[in-house]
Amino acid sequence: MISQSNGFATPHDWAGRYYHIDQILDASGPRTDPAFSAGDEVKDFLRNKAKILVIGAGGLGCEILANLALTGFKDIHVIDMDTIDISNLNRQFLFRQKDVGKPKAIVAAEFIMKRVPGVTVTPYFGKIQDKDEDYYMQFNLIICGLDSVEARRWINATLVNMVDGENPESLKPLIDGGTEGFKGQARVILPTITSCYECSLDMLNKQTAFPICTIANTPRLPEHCIEWASVLEWPRVHGEKKMDTDDPEHITWLYQTASKRAKEFNIEGVTWSLTQGVVKNIIPAIASTNAIIAASCCNEAFKIATSSAAYLNNYFMLIGTDGVYSYTFEHEKRADCPVCGGEAVDMSISSELPVEGLIDLLVEKQDIQIKKPSLSTANKQIYLQAPPQLEAATRPNLSKKVSELVPPGGEITVTASTLPFSLSLRITYT
Amino acid sequence: MINSSDVQTAIVADGAVPDNKTRRYDRQLRLWATSGQAAIEQARILVLSSSATSTSILKNLVLPGISHFTILDHSLVTPEDAGNNFFLEGPESIGKYRAQEAVRLLAELNEEVEGRADTRNFREFLLNGENNGVREWLSGYTIVIVHNLDKDLLETLSNILWHDDSFPPLVVVRSAGFLADFSIQFHEHTVIESHIETSPSLRIDNAFPALKEYALSLDLDNMDITDHGHIPYVVLLVRALEDWKKEHNNLQPKTYAEKQSFKSLVSSMKRKLDEENFEEAESQAYRCWTSSSVPSEIVSLFSDSRLSAPSASLPAFASFASLPPFFQLLKALQIFTERNGYLPLTSTLPDMRSSTEEYVRLQNLYKRRAEEEKAEVKNILIDELGGKVDDSMLDDFVKNTHRLKVLKGRKWGAFVHSNGGQLIASALETSPKQAATHLGLSALEDVLFKKGYSSLHGKAPAPQITIEELTEAAKATLPPGVTLPETEWNEVAGELMRAPTADLPNTAALLGGLVAQEVIKMITKQYVPVDGCCVVDLIETWTGII
Ligand SMILES: [Zn+2]
Repeated sequence: MISQSNGFATPHDWAGRYYHIDQILDASGPRTDPAFSAGDEVKDFLRNKAKILVIGAGGLGCEILANLALTGFKDIHVIDMDTIDISNLNRQFLFRQKDVGKPKAIVAAEFIMKRVPGVTVTPYFGKIQDKDEDYYMQFNLIICGLDSVEARRWINATLVNMVDGENPESLKPLIDGGTEGFKGQARVILPTITSCYECSLDMLNKQTAFPICTIANTPRLPEHCIEWASVLEWPRVHGEKKMDTDDPEHITWLYQTASKRAKEFNIEGVTWSLTQGVVKNIIPAIASTNAIIAASCCNEAFKIATSSAAYLNNYFMLIGTDGVYSYTFEHEKRADCPVCGGEAVDMSISSELPVEGLIDLLVEKQDIQIKKPSLSTANKQIYLQAPPQLEAATRPNLSKKVSELVPPGGEITVTASTLPFSLSLRITYT
Repeated sequence: MINSSDVQTAIVADGAVPDNKTRRYDRQLRLWATSGQAAIEQARILVLSSSATSTSILKNLVLPGISHFTILDHSLVTPEDAGNNFFLEGPESIGKYRAQEAVRLLAELNEEVEGRADTRNFREFLLNGENNGVREWLSGYTIVIVHNLDKDLLETLSNILWHDDSFPPLVVVRSAGFLADFSIQFHEHTVIESHIETSPSLRIDNAFPALKEYALSLDLDNMDITDHGHIPYVVLLVRALEDWKKEHNNLQPKTYAEKQSFKSLVSSMKRKLDEENFEEAESQAYRCWTSSSVPSEIVSLFSDSRLSAPSASLPAFASFASLPPFFQLLKALQIFTERNGYLPLTSTLPDMRSSTEEYVRLQNLYKRRAEEEKAEVKNILIDELGGKVDDSMLDDFVKNTHRLKVLKGRKWGAFVHSNGGQLIASALETSPKQAATHLGLSALEDVLFKKGYSSLHGKAPAPQITIEELTEAAKATLPPGVTLPETEWNEVAGELMRAPTADLPNTAALLGGLVAQEVIKMITKQYVPVDGCCVVDLIETWTGII
């Protein structure tokens, strides 16, 4: 069937297909930008030209793909490195029991193409880091539905770095969503223009980390016993064999080991499910919250792609535990954001502080969040985590005072494997 | 004495890898546990129409595993329907019963869920309901949901369901383009497990005897220095507070200066500079002057008329056991608090710097006392009041008394119509955007109805609506002298005019999520459902409550 009514018809479109969406695309509303060109031009762009990338084909990704397909995006790409697990089926609605074990990106793409005629979804089963700037440059928009902070930081930094002032096409709007239980957030990032993902890192909930001495000597909570089993007992008993948190037998071993310890210390509450939750850092997830956040991301994508209405500036946060509470606000850009700010981060430390102490400070800093930082100045290496030879060569510096190595006002460059960019610290002493 | 092989068997028995169903629902069980899941698995949902919004809502209820859903819709799939609804198969579904297609594709999401398409003409069915058992039929559902239902049918349906407070709640969802609202019609909704993030009182200001005795028994100056660094802050504060009161006419620190000097007192009890438990005690010192008296939100629940029978007649309270269990418990709680001045103790302790032994000892003190107070509540309930409530509900209730919730609902339409429209008039002043959007959707409903346009079927061409028609309809519902906020109204009306019958995929999906969250909260009686009408604007991306 070929549509008669919408100018730039493509096969698969039938008369009336876009009845609902065209009410928006055929006329301006009171809050529509005057530049909006209602009618065929915008429809042609949306349906024949726009190319959009979805990162993640999980809880948010499944919803995002379905929404984009229904709103008229025809050229959609999706990246996901995971395979389908049975625990995904309570919300990742493009997957069935028979799909368990298959790659999410591929199953999701096939489902969408089967259900929504005329849409092409191109899957990539792998990591976002496998792709280079040329790859990301081909899209008009990128929507991210990820549960990994590290992957988000990577794509954020990559898109900020891609911006070339001479080439407006190099600025790729990034729409990011995330959920936890009944709560979630969606935001629009215009790299270099609005606040970026890195600018807001300090808004993340700090992960509960239990001090090793509590785990080893004075457990009080069931979680302490579970951490003991996974952090201390597993390597002691199994040596080099890697723990696989997706292997039920491994979880069972951890559960039994933790239970024994709990019994010994009269601690109640170790269960199989808690064990799994603690070692995998499981975040509760339900279909409805994912639907809200994915819809909000796709709605922003639709508005940006069509200019049919103003888009979110720039952060939407929803809390559904106590009524329906939401908060829409403009998250401010950080001048010292290591990704989009350009300014070095000021850090004032004691002139007595050893390099080791500075590393501890960095690891604890909520707005930086790095695990194993390497430090250097413009002309010398202070401490490098790898390779082993350089680690050994720089290790003696750990006990030296920072002030012996860096003059007041001097800059230290921090790098880490988890950090997709390098961070400049401007050091002053107290 | 259990020997180690017994322990091993016990562990293996309840430590077996969870079954497939538990694994499938794992991520939601972590929110509402097996009790919430059991409620979901008994829920029967009725939805009128199978619009994109309706199927989006159902998707998010079928996935978590409701028992049954019925779609009541006699319409056939139009080409317009086939374009915006993920639970239709594009052109292949055109001309088929919309309900049947939607049920087939929704049921695929979860084999445990039963779906039924009812293709009776519900206009006839509802309007002639008195004769054909519509009430009985409706009362077989847990919740009824409607999307963009014709005005006259909506009024009929809401009247039927409001008639008896045992009838299911009605969720009314309306949307046009980027604008939407929804509300739930219910008489009353009580919540024990509200999951509200307030922690129960540790009652440090009013320590129970065993705790006080323990705190006073410690020889802080002469005990082993390692043990000294392992006393939980709760014990330290109770002790410090007793010491303080001895010096201050048995009064607690009140003024800022007193509070500061209390903190110094705590700090001076250190025997080594780096005793972290004392540092923790200092930072938690505010708990000594946070009163453990009954929070006002809980006291206000006691004013419910069902609780106010004269106390003299209480033992003979003939109908007490016929009160809903929640209110029997609430009465018992009221009596408990009147006698004691505080809520029953809960045994959940936060983590704190301490040795295992000291922490477990403290935990046991709290646990024993909590059991005693629970027994007192139970005693009041059963022996004094003649109540009858099952033990697991009593347990949950006593654990959650600091965050109980009672919501009083209202009938659909009451917001705009009751008090001669005063409610909407004041909302227009305080939240003009939200109120204008709500009023606009009501006006649109009116105008579409008058034009004879049924919103049940998306069919081209879209009706032509003018801003004057909408304004006239809106003004008709306002009390004399109340005016529409000009800017906000024009923004709303202009947008409704632009897309009067657009069920946009993104708006549908977003409503699908929001409404399903609320339905889950209603069904599980966990978390707190929306109190009022939730308004959604997807141009500026906000939600609000009026
Ligand atoms: Zn930034």
